[in-house]
Amino acid sequence: MSHPMNSAAAICGLGVTAMGRVYREAEDLAAEAVYLAIEDAGLKKSDVDGLLINAGVGNAVSIPLHISLGLQELNLLTFMQGYGSSAGQMIQYAAMAVANGLANNVVCVFADAPLQEGQRTGAAYAGGGRRNAMGSLYPLYGFAGALPMYALAAQRHMDLYGTTQDHFAQIAIGQRQWAAMNPAATKREPLDLAGYNASPWVVEPFHVLDCCLVSNGGVAVIVTSAERARDMKQPPVYIRGFAQAHGHDAGMANKDPAIHTPAARSAPRALAMADAKLADITQCQIYDCYTYTVIATLEDYGFCRKGEGGAFVADGKLGPGGGLPTNTGGGELSSYYMWGMTPVAEAVIQGRGQGGARQAKNDLILVSGNGGVLNYHATLVLAPEAA
Amino acid sequence: MSTSWFPEPDNSNLPYFDGARSGKLRLQRCDDCGNWMFPVRSRCQSCGSTQIKWADASGRGTVYTHALLRREYHPRHAGRLPVIMAQVDLEEGVRVNTNLVDVEPGAVKAGMKVTVAFEHSPVGEAVVVFRPA
Repeated sequence: MSHPMNSAAAICGLGVTAMGRVYREAEDLAAEAVYLAIEDAGLKKSDVDGLLINAGVGNAVSIPLHISLGLQELNLLTFMQGYGSSAGQMIQYAAMAVANGLANNVVCVFADAPLQEGQRTGAAYAGGGRRNAMGSLYPLYGFAGALPMYALAAQRHMDLYGTTQDHFAQIAIGQRQWAAMNPAATKREPLDLAGYNASPWVVEPFHVLDCCLVSNGGVAVIVTSAERARDMKQPPVYIRGFAQAHGHDAGMANKDPAIHTPAARSAPRALAMADAKLADITQCQIYDCYTYTVIATLEDYGFCRKGEGGAFVADGKLGPGGGLPTNTGGGELSSYYMWGMTPVAEAVIQGRGQGGARQAKNDLILVSGNGGVLNYHATLVLAPEAA
Repeated sequence: MSTSWFPEPDNSNLPYFDGARSGKLRLQRCDDCGNWMFPVRSRCQSCGSTQIKWADASGRGTVYTHALLRREYHPRHAGRLPVIMAQVDLEEGVRVNTNLVDVEPGAVKAGMKVTVAFEHSPVGEAVVVFRPA
């Protein structure tokens, strides 16, 4: 017997604002994304009775968004934070809410505006929140924000398994090829191995091009019941399965968080709910804050054995024409960085068959969200057909 | 080294900084279950006890992983890039974020044995680092 949540809910609306150096307040970008999603779904504002809100590094969107939007009669309203796993989490809670009658049409929104005029991109995520003397030790050693931690994780993978710089390059190059076919992508100019290698080092083994973009913008999706979605303006994207897994092993010498991530516990449960096997997946939208994140996630999801991710991606199978189309909009590396909403938005476009030149086989789409330093994970299995 | 940027200790972490000045790696240890901790905690992460004491650690460890800082994030990095960042697993079971010194970047590998060292400033401040054992 299939899981009661398999295909009980669907994504019926998507709103994506302009992305990049858009110098507007995060809350205004969030509001625009919500209005775009409502219009996309063919709904009226009064049809929205649930609102789940997630803010990015700027942390500038919260509960008052519903007042700005004039949504005064809601049955569901909260602010959530699970970092890069938040988008996937919001959709999961929204799906459970609509399937159980708490609300009919739940908007899940993320917006952020970390970029300021005249400020370098990297400054937005360098981190500076720690105040006491122990905390001050981190930047002194070079530990500033998430980037060095991911570089350290990637280097361990290289030391243990012989993963190479060219493997990381393959991820960046393949996603840039996808981005060239995505009019909404920020970085669309061609990239080859020489171009990747010429990209400046930040924290070795990461070049600038191993790191995601930093973007101002907003994304909203609307989750409704599968039954309602069938009669709406857009082709439904059914939520077939989902799961989460969280853990933080920082500071514990007997753990190996650089290599073994919570993705390994999340994907099997999401696939079980979807009554699907990994081999049924026809495309992936994998959270790609850094190139290495894609390799670690694909391994933990079981597409290849632990340690073999570098060799797995080396033949270009993630890129256009490859056997496992992945991050078909260019991902966070080349399209835009809206935390977990980047893979979610592309999955909705692909699930509807609206990918244009970059449309890939969409029978079953695996979507990941990853937060912290490989700590917080959400998986979605989406499809154009209900189970 | 310049010291205008050196962290200002408070009561919760003074033993760590005093220890470094006297050439000791001093960490917190749970008096009830023996669990070592870093950075500073007010409650044992393992058993929940609040009976936390400071104790001298062995200073011996293994490189969990490493990376090369190629850009200055902090005044201490001026003129000394690339800085070898590392996470070191101490014999006590604690993983610490630190830097490696007295080693060529290309010679560092996960699993390498290291021992604690101290970078002293003229006024006695000390930064805890590690070098090959």
